[in-house]
Amino acid sequence: MASSSSSGLTFKLHPLVIVNISDHHTRVKSQSQPPHASPSSANGCDASVSAPAAASPPPRVFGADKKVFPNFYILGWYSTGSDAQESDMLIHKSLMDINESPVYLLLNPSINHAQKDLPVTIYESELHVIDGIPQLIFVRSSYTIETVEAERISVDHVAHLKPSDGGSAATQLAAHLTSIHSAIKMLNSRIRVLHHYLLAMQKGDITSENSLLRQVSSLLRRLPAIESGKFQDDFLMEYNDTLLISYLAMFTNCASTMNDLVDKFNTAYDRQSRRGGRSAFM
Amino acid sequence: MVKMNSLEALVAQIQGLSGNSSDIHQLHGHLKQSDQFLYSESTRLAPVLTQLDPAKHSLGYLYLLEAVTSAPFSKERANELVVVVARFINACTAKQIRLAPDKFISVCRRFKDQVMLLEAPMRAVAPLLTAIQKLQPSTEHLTTLHPDFLLVCLSTKCYKTGLHLLEDNISEVDQPRDFFLYCYYGGMICIGQKHFGKALELLHNVVTAPMSTLSAIAVEAYKKYILVSLIHLGQFTTSFPKYTSSAAQRSLKNYCQPYLELANSYSTGKISELQTFVQMNRDKFVVDTNLGLVKQVVSSVYKRNIQRLTQTYLTLSLQDIANTVQLSSPKEAEMHVLQMIQDGEIYAAINQKDGMVRFLEDPEQYKTCEMIEHVDSSIQRMMALSKKLTAMDEKMSCDPSYVSKAGRERQRFDFDDFDGVPQRFNL
Repeated sequence: MASSSSSGLTFKLHPLVIVNISDHHTRVKSQSQPPHASPSSANGCDASVSAPAAASPPPRVFGADKKVFPNFYILGWYSTGSDAQESDMLIHKSLMDINESPVYLLLNPSINHAQKDLPVTIYESELHVIDGIPQLIFVRSSYTIETVEAERISVDHVAHLKPSDGGSAATQLAAHLTSIHSAIKMLNSRIRVLHHYLLAMQKGDITSENSLLRQVSSLLRRLPAIESGKFQDDFLMEYNDTLLISYLAMFTNCASTMNDLVDKFNTAYDRQSRRGGRSAFM
Repeated sequence: MVKMNSLEALVAQIQGLSGNSSDIHQLHGHLKQSDQFLYSESTRLAPVLTQLDPAKHSLGYLYLLEAVTSAPFSKERANELVVVVARFINACTAKQIRLAPDKFISVCRRFKDQVMLLEAPMRAVAPLLTAIQKLQPSTEHLTTLHPDFLLVCLSTKCYKTGLHLLEDNISEVDQPRDFFLYCYYGGMICIGQKHFGKALELLHNVVTAPMSTLSAIAVEAYKKYILVSLIHLGQFTTSFPKYTSSAAQRSLKNYCQPYLELANSYSTGKISELQTFVQMNRDKFVVDTNLGLVKQVVSSVYKRNIQRLTQTYLTLSLQDIANTVQLSSPKEAEMHVLQMIQDGEIYAAINQKDGMVRFLEDPEQYKTCEMIEHVDSSIQRMMALSKKLTAMDEKMSCDPSYVSKAGRERQRFDFDDFDGVPQRFNL
């Protein structure tokens, strides 16, 4: 398997596809004995391909697909696993009847926290001459994720799977606050990294890089989007209101604990604390 | 084990074994055994004290000092003893004296008695404060010396020093009687400084503290509580909160009849009636030394009435205020209103040209950073308090007297429910 493709095709991958694949994998894994790879029927990858590809007559098996999705055609197939294997090549060859250069998308389901990139690889097949024998092998292609900003939000929403029946107000609030908290935490850590870097630059430990400094300066100039007195006032008032609500909540909590404590104390130590109190009855 | 002529031996031991903590424990054991011996030799001990250093040999010094002060002595000696004890309190090491707290407390008590006898209570204020700070394991502990210190502050009218001590939040109490006295004296100090809110809180603590039988301190505190409640809040509710002991709920009101009637007459708002009532019962108030407070109650009626006006009118002339509130002249009304504005009790503006008063709203907009910090610190305090309360609640749930009673009283709906909770635990 060669390292990079020479076909000149650039792939743009849509994130929903990745979500679909992982979904499928999870479903199959939970329903049956998990096979180590789950080759499935080829799907219509709606990745836009910039090089022209000819529409080819679909075989019988995929005739139904063609009727359902007349505007799409089979680009390739996907599977899960850690690396492309020989058995995959056989499936790939069979697909080559439909499309002379199918695409093979491999998703690695094992979670690796150290890895920064997506565990998705796209392979194309090429004819290479190895040891004098022409052979079809998989070569890796590069791809980019393409999405519109608005779409990203909806995909994000799908990925988080909030309880749709409303749950209880508390769980929804907790989920909402957790996501805000993680977002702020990430922002905080990134700012801290930048800050640390700039401090080191100032001290002279690292050579100062003017392009980076220019970027930071432009970012800073963009920041205070609203900086008027009225905004300060409204902001502080709202901040105060929220604080007061939490204060009230804590108050109520404390008062409730104290009430329980007083009841217990009265039961334990105070004689005749309740007139007409509860008594055992048959 | 320490025999007769071994006073010198004891001194040598003290000097030798005052190094590290294990030595100190050993020394403590020796000293406990020599207690009787020291009492018998109390007259000879004074010169021995000069051989010891109060800072390094605090424990030994304390024992000797306690034995010295236990014997009766003349007024001249009292003076020099007071000096010696004051110096000791300032110099001693906190760790060592905490090993023998009752001896330290008795030394300080006698010190205070001597100082009162010499009629110079001022000399005891600073040493007692140092003594408290050295004795208490943390600022949340109430020691037996707290009420003594507050009493001295009251006698010398050093209210500010007393107030400073009252700011600590108490959560551990050794002796209930200390707590009663502490809160009562503390309430009086706050009244003296016109911090009526804090006084109300402290007196409330005395009245609602757990007590199996009615305490005289609680009765006196209740009288003052009624008066301070009228001054500060303008009203008084006769119902007790549910955490009041049943002993207090039953009998407290019987001892405070004139005060309750005063509260009733106050709520009508008619000043003349109130004044006649006060005149009639003047002697009772004098006996309880509450006459000053009662007079403050009467003058607070005007304030209440003016405050009630702010809820009805937006602007009012000074003449009308004087008429409604039954003051004699608009000038007096102006003075009252001015005083209240200065104290922050109402928000108003006086227009002197036409003698009109305009009542304003609370100008606090709650949009400053200081307010944010204030609320934030309150939240932090509340969180700490909540933790403490939860811990106490858990401890209470495991308390045997609670568990036995709780089981006994639960409702039984079903025949099966009759098994169960043991009435007593053999611990």
